[in-house]
Amino acid sequence: MIETILNRIVVSVPVLFGVLFLGFALVQLAPGDPARVQAGPTAPPEVVERIRQEMGLDQPVIVQFGKYMERLAQGDLGRSLISNKTVTSELAAAIVPTIELMFASLIWSIPLGIAMGTLAAVWRGSLLDRIIMAISVAGVSLPIFFICLLLIQLLGVKYPVFPFIGRGGPIWTAEGLRHLVLPALSLGLIFIGPVSRMTRSSVLEVLRLDHVRTARAKGLTEPQVILRHGLRNALIPVVTLVGLQIGYLLGGAVVTETIFSYPGIGRLAVGAILSSDFPLAQGTILVLALGFILVNLIVDILYARLDPRVQKK
Amino acid sequence: MSATDIPPAEMPPPVPDPQATVPARRRWWRALLADPTAALAMLVLAAIALAAVLAPLIAPHDPNANTRTVMLPPAWSERGTWEHLLGTDGQGRDILSRVLHGTRLTLLIGLVAVGIGGLVGSVLGLLSAMYPRIDPWVMRINDMLLSFPAILLGLALVAISGPGVLPVIVALGIASIPDCARIARSIGIGVMGQEYIEAGRAVGLSDWAILRRYLLRNSISSIMIFLSLRFGQIILIGAALSFLGLGARPPASELGMMAAQGRDFLLFAPHIAAIPSVVIFVIVLCANITGDALRDVLDPRLQS
Repeated sequence: MIETILNRIVVSVPVLFGVLFLGFALVQLAPGDPARVQAGPTAPPEVVERIRQEMGLDQPVIVQFGKYMERLAQGDLGRSLISNKTVTSELAAAIVPTIELMFASLIWSIPLGIAMGTLAAVWRGSLLDRIIMAISVAGVSLPIFFICLLLIQLLGVKYPVFPFIGRGGPIWTAEGLRHLVLPALSLGLIFIGPVSRMTRSSVLEVLRLDHVRTARAKGLTEPQVILRHGLRNALIPVVTLVGLQIGYLLGGAVVTETIFSYPGIGRLAVGAILSSDFPLAQGTILVLALGFILVNLIVDILYARLDPRVQKK
Repeated sequence: MSATDIPPAEMPPPVPDPQATVPARRRWWRALLADPTAALAMLVLAAIALAAVLAPLIAPHDPNANTRTVMLPPAWSERGTWEHLLGTDGQGRDILSRVLHGTRLTLLIGLVAVGIGGLVGSVLGLLSAMYPRIDPWVMRINDMLLSFPAILLGLALVAISGPGVLPVIVALGIASIPDCARIARSIGIGVMGQEYIEAGRAVGLSDWAILRRYLLRNSISSIMIFLSLRFGQIILIGAALSFLGLGARPPASELGMMAAQGRDFLLFAPHIAAIPSVVIFVIVLCANITGDALRDVLDPRLQS
């Protein structure tokens, strides 16, 4: 088990380097000369040249990358060009809201998706199956911004039940929860489709297997067979799917946060990119990428725990 | 599935012509069209694509021309006029004309991105199936690409180059490469183990001929299934990026961007945001239904 985890961590090292290099390239390739920006538009060329040397911009790219890594290790991501706050502090303030949003979206959508998929598989070919699958394929096809706008229109404007601007506070406060309802509803909705589709095909596959037949033969009730012997095994591919779809969820979160003016990493990223705030843009993209790697690591470990066959390999 | 799995009674009469794939293809079409939902989805998709291609010819107005009536509702509502079938947007532009032109750009983004991903991905995958020496390297790069979700690539590229259609297409294209390469590789490895490859080598076929004749032909259907399922997702991510203001720039019309522009008029004229959103939904829905049906028909392993 520990070996699997260590192995998995070692494998993510090159990916981590890739991400860091991407962040570095982002700053390198950004239009505009940082030395010139630092010096001001009227500074004579000698001054710009001196600042360039001071900033280490005249050194080979690989040296600059090393320095960049050094700064990164110290948690120094520079300052936002717009707010002049450190990027680290901006990121720190935005991470918790994003995690809260993800959590609040997944906590209801994954169980619902699994339940829908299981029902569809058990009553395969029935009207219920067809309705569930129609809902799922529609859910996979809806643009996330359309869901957000519809929910705002319905539950924010027409029947003003929930607020739809900003964050009310931490998730454990009543106001914080109230503000989280519409964003979490929107983001969770795009996740139901993939989860229920995957669960359905996975359960269908497992129900055909021998051990399920044995379970039926020894006289277990149908719910027992399905829950204990079917669903349990069928969930393994679903876990992988959740990992694979985290990227998709991330995209949804960026849109959801922007529409609901929710102060998370996604909204921060879009704002930074649109205002050419390169240090902040770089920081947000780094955090999003690291989060993605981390979640996939957790999913892989979970997968190894759930499936004894993986551990043996 | 090899021919030996079929009981002899059902075995088709041997056809000496290597063009034997043609009737099979016709059979696929028949199976595909026998599913009424899939047939309808393909029909709608074809109609939308045709309308998009012909947009400059059939659009009733200039998509960027402002009229004096802003936020005009669609023709079927009380204050609507037949002059502007779907009404006008916040700047008084004809929504129908903009939707037609916007669909064009949205579909173009999706098609080019899927094309890049499919082409580069299958070449990489098939090559690494053919030459085991480069395989570990290709797969290493692949794994790395796989850990950058499309939206992150999009954000990063747009951060470097500034908003635009091109970085969005490139990002979505790159993001489609690794999955496609994996599919092509796994099929390619299966094909490389077959006896006819050895036979082909024995009669002196070049690597190129083997690649084209055996590897490509055998893997193309699986790659097409994947791409058709991927197409919908790509369109959604592309539209989302445009919605955020990171993709297409005004005055161009793109469906995601149009929905974003309609956001400011949600209270008084919800149709401005709703119409382009619904068009995206219909396109993606039809693409997904078609992809599902294609998978059922072409991939016997997944058939229930």
